Amino acid sequence: MSQKSLQYEKKEYVKTRTMPGSWYLSSYKYKYNFSHFKPFFEKLKEKKLVGLQCSSCNEVSFPPKLVCGRCLIKPDRWVDIRETAQVATFSITYEKNPQTGETEEKPVVAIRHDGADTMFLGVIDPSTNFHDVYVGMPLKVKWVENPQGNINDIDYYEVINDKAKNMEIRKE
Amino acid sequence: MEKVGIVGYFYVKMKPELDYGRYDLVFETVRGALDSAGLKKKDLTTVISCTNDYYDGRTISNAFCVEPGGAYLVDESKVEMDGPHAVLYALMRILSGNHKLALVWAGSTPSCFPYDSTQLYATDPTWERPTELLNQMVSGGLQMKAYMNKYGIKVEDIAKVAVKNHKNAAKNELANPEAQLPNISINDVLKSDIMSDPVTELMYAQPCDGMAALLLAPEKQALKITENPVWIKGVGWNQETYYLGDRNLHESKAMELASKMAFKSAGITAKDVDVAELFEHFAHEELIFSEAIGFAEKGKGSKLNSEINGDLPINPSGGAIGGNAPCATGLIRMIEAVKQLQGKAQGYQVKDAKIAVASGQVGFCAQNSILYVLEKGGN
Amino acid sequence: MGRQTCVISAGFSEHASKRSDVSMPEMVSEAIEDCLKKVPGLELKDIDAFVNGNMPAFEGANIPELWMTDWLGARNKPLLRVTTGGTTGGSVAIAGYYTVAAGLPGVDTVLAVAFEQQSQGDTSVGLASVALGEMTAISSLGLPIEKLRRLVSAGAAIGIASYQATNYMRKSKITEEDLARVVVQNRRNAAKNWYTHLKMPNLTIQDVLDTPYISFPLRYGMVCPASDGACAMLFTTEEKAKEWADIPVYVNGVASVANQTAIVGYNAAGAGQLDPSEQLGSQLSADLAFKQAGISFPRKEIDYAEVYAPFPNQELMWVEKLGLFEMNTATAMYKAGVTAVNGELPINSSGGVNSTNAIGASAMERPAEAALQIMGKAGNQVKKAVHTSLGHGWGGIINLITMMVMADEPQRKFR
Repeated sequence: MSQKSLQYEKKEYVKTRTMPGSWYLSSYKYKYNFSHFKPFFEKLKEKKLVGLQCSSCNEVSFPPKLVCGRCLIKPDRWVDIRETAQVATFSITYEKNPQTGETEEKPVVAIRHDGADTMFLGVIDPSTNFHDVYVGMPLKVKWVENPQGNINDIDYYEVINDKAKNMEIRKE
Repeated sequence: MEKVGIVGYFYVKMKPELDYGRYDLVFETVRGALDSAGLKKKDLTTVISCTNDYYDGRTISNAFCVEPGGAYLVDESKVEMDGPHAVLYALMRILSGNHKLALVWAGSTPSCFPYDSTQLYATDPTWERPTELLNQMVSGGLQMKAYMNKYGIKVEDIAKVAVKNHKNAAKNELANPEAQLPNISINDVLKSDIMSDPVTELMYAQPCDGMAALLLAPEKQALKITENPVWIKGVGWNQETYYLGDRNLHESKAMELASKMAFKSAGITAKDVDVAELFEHFAHEELIFSEAIGFAEKGKGSKLNSEINGDLPINPSGGAIGGNAPCATGLIRMIEAVKQLQGKAQGYQVKDAKIAVASGQVGFCAQNSILYVLEKGGN
Repeated sequence: MGRQTCVISAGFSEHASKRSDVSMPEMVSEAIEDCLKKVPGLELKDIDAFVNGNMPAFEGANIPELWMTDWLGARNKPLLRVTTGGTTGGSVAIAGYYTVAAGLPGVDTVLAVAFEQQSQGDTSVGLASVALGEMTAISSLGLPIEKLRRLVSAGAAIGIASYQATNYMRKSKITEEDLARVVVQNRRNAAKNWYTHLKMPNLTIQDVLDTPYISFPLRYGMVCPASDGACAMLFTTEEKAKEWADIPVYVNGVASVANQTAIVGYNAAGAGQLDPSEQLGSQLSADLAFKQAGISFPRKEIDYAEVYAPFPNQELMWVEKLGLFEMNTATAMYKAGVTAVNGELPINSSGGVNSTNAIGASAMERPAEAALQIMGKAGNQVKKAVHTSLGHGWGGIINLITMMVMADEPQRKFR
């Protein structure tokens, strides 16, 4: 039976008095500026993808960035982004389901579209086996039936056939 | 101490609620400061920010601000006190010889959270936090009572300071519009709501949204960037003990020691100062500070003529009463002092200002105070 | 402009998962006493200024230095607070260096203190609040918050590091056994150091591999603990250092270059760091610090390194990124024993962050241990003579780095 923690040499400390207190964030009102997202959302309604390019350093960001860090200006050129993407990095977490009490595997994937220079967290086709995921795996967007003009219009990413899969360089 | 010059600055007009997003605000301030000096982002060698995790509602408040704050691939760090403390750290980085141009930005948006109740988190968790009695305003009330009782000052003398600052703020176009009251009278101040007896609403520096930025460079580079940089001649900072009962609330020991340190390194005395921009959380703190720095004798602070055309103008821009953006207020005091020395204070300019002091503070009753001595450069 | 700065002492408090016998200020004063007792000629009144820091979210106290003034010995003295999240300790040490190097009149000796008492607060709330602001932004765009919590995965620091692990393991083809070997070396080293948290003198690789996964590819046995502890360092000028210490340790290079965030971008944008194991910020920091210190071949010129690695895959990655070993050779070096206590280039002989992690303090304990190794006063002193060493830290959203390079001879010439 595997145990969670390893044994180590512990020292016992005397317990002194404690006072309760709290720090809560529930009363905070976060403010953001999303005016630069408007063309991005409008194109999503038409099932098209666009990224924002900085005219000085040509970095394309998807979803769009407010300020280009390298040049310290606001990027303003919109470019088309293809629907194919690659897995940039991934991880599998093991979380305890609060209802059933079992430890479940939850995969998480960061995706970079072809033509963009940034990555964001997304969801892969739920029917794939997550242990097959590897960095560089090709994906394609699967749209919902009626796009509303927000992030949820991309339902998930489906795995497309990797013609290079059996090449020596891909073998792990 | 070698000469270090302030070569650029910018601050956003303060409002009770700004309709910017956080990153937009940081970007505009930083860009404004760089543009005011005609410099580019690639000239920056170090960036110091000053924000507070509790005021921003997130930990590591500088991690996501790397790109809008101009710190991408630049040596950066963060100070968690008041704006002038961040300027101090940037000053030390330049004096060590490792850096040639430093950017300092500071500010927060108290419209996003209940500012006065978060002060509770800065209290001692064992003795003071459970009773929930102490915060900025209560400590201000205790300080004002102590000051009035010790020297027999009348509450009208203190209200006079609040009137002066509100009228001065009306001449400053970047001040908080709610604090710009050109027709205010002593009676209005005394009749406004009591916050913590005897402090009334118009004597207290109300928190508002704001952000400010400043650029520093060593002597050789500063003279190449601008014709009239403002030199930092001396700096002093000090922290006194915390518990209010252990201190003499009618004077400010921290400000006394800080100003001694600053004047010694600058080689001047209090008599040489032409204009002062002090961060006063309450109207009476301005009197306490002017006595601690040495502008007036103990108990005689209210006798000093601190109007714009008086003997020693204090807070011609309205002071913190004209707009108090937590973490940015001290930096805005420094920027206003720089404007006075460069002759760019439209509408509230003090004549022939050559040497100015600017102060910042953190903690209850100005527990940690910092003071700068600034000198006019160029011709 | 500027002047030579030396480290003359470093002190620690005892670290444990729950220091239930002391409050925050008492723990800090333990570290300060340990630091000052190594310098018998120095008294508290000789200290001219203080620099402090911790991560305020973990204890639920804002600017705690205000009410800790008397315990620090800082009454009526100048004090500055520097905090940068996970790299707080390193930033405080760098700020202590700059305070002395600036040469302000009357400020010659500076005490830098960093601490954390995580058992006092809720660590997961503190860590979650790093990205909470950005997550609320993304959720305001329409993504349901449950999807987001799952996306950023269990515990911010582990979640982010596991992405880094995936990329690094793909590039370098390391196995889990290599990871476990690093853990075994660190924990056995910690057993010989008096203040560390996880002391395991008889740990084996199989013990580590027997624990279940927490987040692929990391197992429970491999991750760092959450400790309470404090650390203090004393900086002063060259003349005074020669008076007070036998071997003054000169600080020759410091750097803390920041990069774009990884995984989660600001303001709901995409994240710029495509490969979190590439670490452009750390390469630039290392270049800057080595240039200041006059080091061209780190592999030969550095005698000892303390690398900030809460997870073993990071230790293997950092020693390559900082220039100490060639790419993809780190695992072979660990296997051959080059990085052990009696090896050619000992790494983390204090046990490292893998055995003791008080988040606010651990980035300062790295340069502190590196300095003590040069002075010959470390808890687990290595056999060879150490002349040049480095201490390193990382944090934020894997975008903040600190580096400090020290030696027993000065490098820079000041006019």
